[in-house]
Amino acid sequence: MNSGIFIQTIIGGLGIGSLYALIALGYSMVYRSMGLVNFAQGSIYMVGTYFGIIWYAGIVVGLRVPYPVALLIGILLNAMLGVVLERIFRPLAKLDLMFMLLGTIGLGFVLNNLFVIIFGAEGFAVKSPLPDTPIIVLGIRVLPQMLLLIGGAAALMTALQIFLKRGKLGVAMRASAMDHDIASAMGIPVNRMNALTLAIGSALAAAAGILAAPIVYVNPAMGSAIGLKGFAAAILGGFGSIPGAIVGGLLFGVLEAVSSGYISSSYTRGIAFIIMVLVLMIKPTGIVGETTVEKV
Amino acid sequence: MMVEAVHTYYDNVHAVKGISFEVRRGEITALIGANGAGKSTSIKTICGLLRPRSGGVYLEGSPIHKLPPERIVRLGIGYVPEGRRVFPLLTVDENLAMGAFHRRDSAGIARDKAGVYETFPKLMDRRKQLAGALSGGEQQMLAIGRALMSRPSLLVMDEPSLGLAPLLVRQVFEIIVGLNEQGLTILLSEQNARSALKIAHRGIVMETGKVRFADTSKALRENPVVQRAYLGFA
Repeated sequence: MNSGIFIQTIIGGLGIGSLYALIALGYSMVYRSMGLVNFAQGSIYMVGTYFGIIWYAGIVVGLRVPYPVALLIGILLNAMLGVVLERIFRPLAKLDLMFMLLGTIGLGFVLNNLFVIIFGAEGFAVKSPLPDTPIIVLGIRVLPQMLLLIGGAAALMTALQIFLKRGKLGVAMRASAMDHDIASAMGIPVNRMNALTLAIGSALAAAAGILAAPIVYVNPAMGSAIGLKGFAAAILGGFGSIPGAIVGGLLFGVLEAVSSGYISSSYTRGIAFIIMVLVLMIKPTGIVGETTVEKV
Repeated sequence: MMVEAVHTYYDNVHAVKGISFEVRRGEITALIGANGAGKSTSIKTICGLLRPRSGGVYLEGSPIHKLPPERIVRLGIGYVPEGRRVFPLLTVDENLAMGAFHRRDSAGIARDKAGVYETFPKLMDRRKQLAGALSGGEQQMLAIGRALMSRPSLLVMDEPSLGLAPLLVRQVFEIIVGLNEQGLTILLSEQNARSALKIAHRGIVMETGKVRFADTSKALRENPVVQRAYLGFA
């Protein structure tokens, strides 16, 4: 086994894993704050990608903006979509899992088909804003866009952690997720906290999609597989846990890359899911699991 | 604060059946009754967590029963929930900060936080610890401190002595008296009628969702029916 190839595989896995982690964060944050499993997350990722990348790729009347500007536009527009979604999901969150499932999956279909109607079913490739030639260090070849994806995801996840730990709003979001009634009795507007959560989750998905767009193929169906894998990653790490979503996403990406590199690329997805099931059989709460407090 | 002819349903159970009472400024009012008498439902209705089916709650003459809880706290009603309900995965310090969520005066918030720590030195020692790791008594102190952070003019406390050791119960009651002496109006729900009537100016006795008696504590303590049913006299 060539160690250079191995490291290269791991880096590739971390890249795609960063993408899963950002999607998984959306699932877990929304579940935590609203108790809602949002199966439209994959579609939200697709919509966010379009929201940004169309301005960069010149899809709309040939208008072109620089990549970082497109990234920002996509993040902002998708955050606004998240705020609208809170209003749609509010009644769903009070219902049984079956209704949530139908409601969110249905919404996903609506978004997917809406984008097929607007942009057509076939997609397009996006040119990386960075050079297309791999960087070679010590015999390890990495695409610059892959490094941008990993770095961008790491920066966003760090920013999220700081926001949730330090910011008054972030702490209020966590408080509201822990106890809706008491949070509102303390003056925290719970619905607005939920809207903020959905906005952040959608913004992260948009960032993921726009950062990955030059590596993956952009089309209205792009969210279905990634949405499922993000969900699996969130479960692998511990559904509802924020560090869990990050760990689960990265691990899922690496598992996929290693199994496709060393076992078989045609069974990649199956192998990663089998490992997920095995992990859950040993530790049903996921790797990071639910945080509990020990009495001292 | 006035509660007027309030009917509230809790999970489709008609838990509060047309209660009316008044909480006078500067006083401690005790809401007394057995488990299931409707005390908690009344308290939650006042704080906006439950909406009355009919009737109204008035603060300084203006109706508040249609407002969401996050607006009611701004009007000066602080809430200490039954079972403490501190945010378990936030630190003590963060819990206090959440009590002051709607306030923008950071200097005032810092001053009030220091005040809470002065009243409850134990919390100061555990400032950076998760609230879920505190003992029951400490959590009760934190729940009271958190409510004080909103600078309430009326503090509504739901069974603050529940599940605490007798020594701690006495401490909590001393704190309540102390807060009242500083000018805070207090509405206190209690199963322990004897201790509650000792510190309260007035008492309201609830039975099966209705107000049975409403009088001064002294009169209630001398009332033979109350004595028999709630104060344990033969």
